Amino acid sequence: MKQLSAVALLFVIFLGSLFVYVAEDIPAFGDPNSAPNRYVKLFEIDAAGLEGDLEQGVLPASLVDDLEDEIEERGFPLPSGVVRVSGKEGGEGEGEGEGEEAEGAWEAVIVPAETEQHFYPKEQKYYFIEKKGEKLWVYRYAPVKRYMEEGPNETNVPNMVTYILADYRGYDTLGETTVIFTAGVAVMLLLRRREKRPREK
Amino acid sequence: MNKRESSKGEESSKREAKGGDVIIEVVTRLMVPFIQLFALYVIIHGAGGPGGGFQGGVIFGSSFILYAIAFGIVKAGNRFSESANTVFFSTGVYIYAGVGLLCVILSYGAAQFLNYGFIPLTHHFEENRALGMDLVEIGIGITVMAVITSIFFNLAWKRENEGGKKAGEGGGEGRRQAERGEGRERREGRERREGRERREGRERREEVGG
Amino acid sequence: MMEWLVEEVFAKYNYWISIVLMLIGFYAMIAKENLVKKIIGLNIFQTAIFLFYISLGDIVGGTEPIVVEGFEGIYVNPLPHVLILTAIVVGVATTAVALSLVILMYEKYGTIEEPEIIEKEREGEV
Repeated sequence: MKQLSAVALLFVIFLGSLFVYVAEDIPAFGDPNSAPNRYVKLFEIDAAGLEGDLEQGVLPASLVDDLEDEIEERGFPLPSGVVRVSGKEGGEGEGEGEGEEAEGAWEAVIVPAETEQHFYPKEQKYYFIEKKGEKLWVYRYAPVKRYMEEGPNETNVPNMVTYILADYRGYDTLGETTVIFTAGVAVMLLLRRREKRPREK
Repeated sequence: MNKRESSKGEESSKREAKGGDVIIEVVTRLMVPFIQLFALYVIIHGAGGPGGGFQGGVIFGSSFILYAIAFGIVKAGNRFSESANTVFFSTGVYIYAGVGLLCVILSYGAAQFLNYGFIPLTHHFEENRALGMDLVEIGIGITVMAVITSIFFNLAWKRENEGGKKAGEGGGEGRRQAERGEGRERREGRERREGRERREGRERREEVGG
Repeated sequence: MMEWLVEEVFAKYNYWISIVLMLIGFYAMIAKENLVKKIIGLNIFQTAIFLFYISLGDIVGGTEPIVVEGFEGIYVNPLPHVLILTAIVVGVATTAVALSLVILMYEKYGTIEEPEIIEKEREGEV
């Protein structure tokens, strides 16, 4: 039916032209600072007036209290310690008017509640804090960071995709095997035959 | 004797025209074991390089599909028993869930499902995890192989309509069968007999003429 | 205009290719009348989505995510690869069941063109 083809073609062209507006927000191909590869931004904290302490690399106690309040508000686990990341230049770009000096960066670390587990690391990098202008931006590490950094030590397997599939996300792979098992059973039920296959004489 | 040999030569050429080519058959018979060996390599070495359970399972299944394409689906169906394949469906899932349950049992009741560190094959938790992953990949490979093969054979086998069911206008086979009530075996046998008679008739005419 | 072209189109060419494939598959699913062609359109659509998702995790200058000792570079994000492996298997399962349904429909109606099936249903022949 020619009418259906024409309507479908117009609809498709319309959808394709909508993508022009969406393309601005998607990061460029291969951008190392895009969200799937690095961080997910959580919130900002005003850190005006504390620059003296911050430049020495120490987070003052009042700021840490504010941080923990905000984190708890959002329902994330509380960090147990904050560590200054040495030598890192911080995230993308520089603050307005800060020049080229290296921005400070901190990593906040979490210790899980049961320390008797000897199969998972005792400490785990969770938050990444960075100073941009007058504010502190708090990011959360993408979970991939943990898989990529702790993986080869916890499991003696070089291939990242295999150990994520079979070890860290092994439960999902069990469900996946059930899916393909169900597909085989479904095709067998639909295309059943009543007689045995004839044998060639 | 001469007549039978010459008839065999014509029959083989007719068979080539239908597609059972000698070169393809020989090469396939040589290649199928190597394809299966490669599939096993991909499953087990999925930990050291690209590969894994799903990929190796599909390669294993494709060796059966290659055999069916080269030899015809009837011959491949004779070599491949459907009931044995159905057992492999569930063997893979059984291995996977079994390893998980084993970890729960071996951790003395602490609920550590699929935490391969508890399987006491070596003395380190990390190496135990690698071995547990290999076991699990073998299970996945078995299931995927069985499913891919079974789907292909179910889709490609020619189906018969049962009894006198109407098959609509376009289903020529169905209509013919419904009218005459003939099975596929009998029709094939009749066609083969007719073909042979026609060929022998042509030979006798050639002998007389030439 | 030139800036927009360079920044938006040429720097993100993978997303454009994926969108074009998606729209081709979508058109095939809607506008084609043969049932098998609709299933092929479904497969093209799925493949385009896989390309889009995997290319989100690429890093310039990164190499494959297999750990080699003594390597000081960047590895590509392995999480999209893992999720797409599962999605590929789901695609295979869907295509298999859809094709078996097409076989059953052919046996019932004798044709796999959609307008003819609709006509037969309307006239109440089957």
